[in-house]
Amino acid sequence: MTQVLATTVVVASLYALLAAGYVLVYRATRVLNLAQGDMMTLGGYFLFLLASAVPGQPALSVVTAAALSALAGFLIYRLLMRPMAGHPIFAAVLVTVTLGILLRAAIVLVYTDRIRHPLPLLGLANPPRRLPGGAVVSTFDLLTVGVAAGLFVALFVFLRLSPLGIQMRAAQRGIDFQLLFALSWALAGFAGALAGILYANNVRLDPSLGVLGLKAFAVALVGGLDSLGGVIPGALIVAAVEVLSVRYSDPLLADVSPFLCLLAMLLIRPWGLFGTKEELERV
Amino acid sequence: MRGLALTLLTALLVVASATPALAQYRIGMSAAITGPASSTYAPTYEAYKAYFKRINDAGGINGQKVEIAYEDDRGEPQRAAANAKKLAEGSILMVNASTSATYKPFMTESETEKVPLLFGGGVCPREAFPPASPLIFCSTSFGSKWDSRFALGFIKEQAGGKKVKVGFAAQDIPLSRIELEFAEQLAKEMGLEAIPVVVVPGNTPDFTPFAQKLKDAGADWVLSWALWHVEVGVFEALQRIGWQGNYLLYGHQQTQDELARLKAGNLYAFGGNTLFLENLPIHSEINNVKGQTTHPAHYMAEGWVSAMVLEASLRKCGWPCPKDKLATAMAGVSVDTRGLRGGAIEWTADNHYRKSTYYKVYRWDPTKNAIAPVGGWTRLEIK
Repeated sequence: MTQVLATTVVVASLYALLAAGYVLVYRATRVLNLAQGDMMTLGGYFLFLLASAVPGQPALSVVTAAALSALAGFLIYRLLMRPMAGHPIFAAVLVTVTLGILLRAAIVLVYTDRIRHPLPLLGLANPPRRLPGGAVVSTFDLLTVGVAAGLFVALFVFLRLSPLGIQMRAAQRGIDFQLLFALSWALAGFAGALAGILYANNVRLDPSLGVLGLKAFAVALVGGLDSLGGVIPGALIVAAVEVLSVRYSDPLLADVSPFLCLLAMLLIRPWGLFGTKEELERV
Repeated sequence: MRGLALTLLTALLVVASATPALAQYRIGMSAAITGPASSTYAPTYEAYKAYFKRINDAGGINGQKVEIAYEDDRGEPQRAAANAKKLAEGSILMVNASTSATYKPFMTESETEKVPLLFGGGVCPREAFPPASPLIFCSTSFGSKWDSRFALGFIKEQAGGKKVKVGFAAQDIPLSRIELEFAEQLAKEMGLEAIPVVVVPGNTPDFTPFAQKLKDAGADWVLSWALWHVEVGVFEALQRIGWQGNYLLYGHQQTQDELARLKAGNLYAFGGNTLFLENLPIHSEINNVKGQTTHPAHYMAEGWVSAMVLEASLRKCGWPCPKDKLATAMAGVSVDTRGLRGGAIEWTADNHYRKSTYYKVYRWDPTKNAIAPVGGWTRLEIK
């Protein structure tokens, strides 16, 4: 049982990192960024690029990859999303779908579809860690949980205490919209990259990782699309159902369980656990 | 008069431009060059390109160039159906190097247009096995049911008379599930204790729950026959949670790199192709295509063997080589794989898979600190 619990927390942390990107962009711009999964993949490939160029420098590679991903998020806003201002939201969402396809294609062109493992290039290992209660997780599993917790604490502090964060929360009332929108996209790129970097070191890196973004999308909707706080319970619920379905039911259910959670939430409380009702009407 | 001259001139130009296009072996190939399964199939496409460039640069076959039209199907049946229609027209042979989901439209088109169809890179369909369909051929090293027969025989041999419990890690694709459900049944018939197949979704974020299921069931051995990331994902999760058993998986192109990365003495990879670490002369030959391909040379073995078989078939067919003559030639071809496989690929009128198939197992040998074969080739007769 402790193993089930540990795995649930690890999977939930990965989903939370990805789902944070959806919520940040949606809260600020009202756009559903369906390229979030591919932004995760992009972060992983930035890491691979840097680890190949300067092997054995994990700190440099990780920090630069995350920074490049944030820059990519910023550029996506400036070059693709900003020109969509004034057009229907639906068109902007379609742009994110196209962006995801283009990112995947570009990665295949440069790196092919081969499975990559940046970990040896970084000169790191990923040994198993035994937890109290007997559960075993990998070192990068623990890092995933720690990084997700750290990111959420940092985001809450930033949004509640910093002047810029307070402006972001109050975006509807005005001030510097363009800067705030760009910042949201950059933060979404950063959060996605953290998920990609951790997953690439823990499991693998290949161009199809973006499909995990779809499961995280279900997490964001279960928690409430405009609620950053809702991401955490949303991720825990979706991950728990997924892990428990493997353990106690048909393992094949694992793949569809996030969407079963989503369906159940839409039937019971369509705006999600902590979302606001009026936001649903906007969607 | 001037009009007649112009007409004649145009006709001459048409004939002149058409003649060189016809005077060559025209082949059509559909492969999963991109898409989720491309890491398995794109190297075959690249091997074909490099192999036939070399053939054409050296003057072609029977004095004719080999022209191959390549189409990407991404492993999707809809794209494959469009490709099959396009490639069947004017080709003397179609080659499929893609997922099993693309087989049906190609087989239908092959039957309708009476074009022979070679599976080179994807798992061999049952129509290639005896009694073979006249137009379906397969050069791929892995073949359903035979792989499980070998794998379970190997596990039994390694167990050395001890009673062992075998678990099965399949992927949520029909072929993988069918194969391992067959293996589960066969294991029971062979006197092994079989744990029900655990089916793993290909895009799971964490393989641990699936590994836990196998560990809790008490598996001494686990057999996996799926795409590489699933095979290895389950193994790594088992290793992480402290499982002490042995793991046998089908060795795809990644085997050599991955055995060296994982350095696990309890991970065994079986397959039909020799790993490049054996440094055979044919491996050096393939290494020479470096720079022409995006995948490393040691990913090319599967496609290289298939291209060798096609070359031998075209040579046997002679020139001119219409599709019916080519099908007849293929049904009697015998190809020395020069060590890439354990033996020759021989097709007969009713066996388009091969008369004998060969398997070899590799693993990381901790005492040698290197990858080493576990025994030699095992030959299975295909009847």
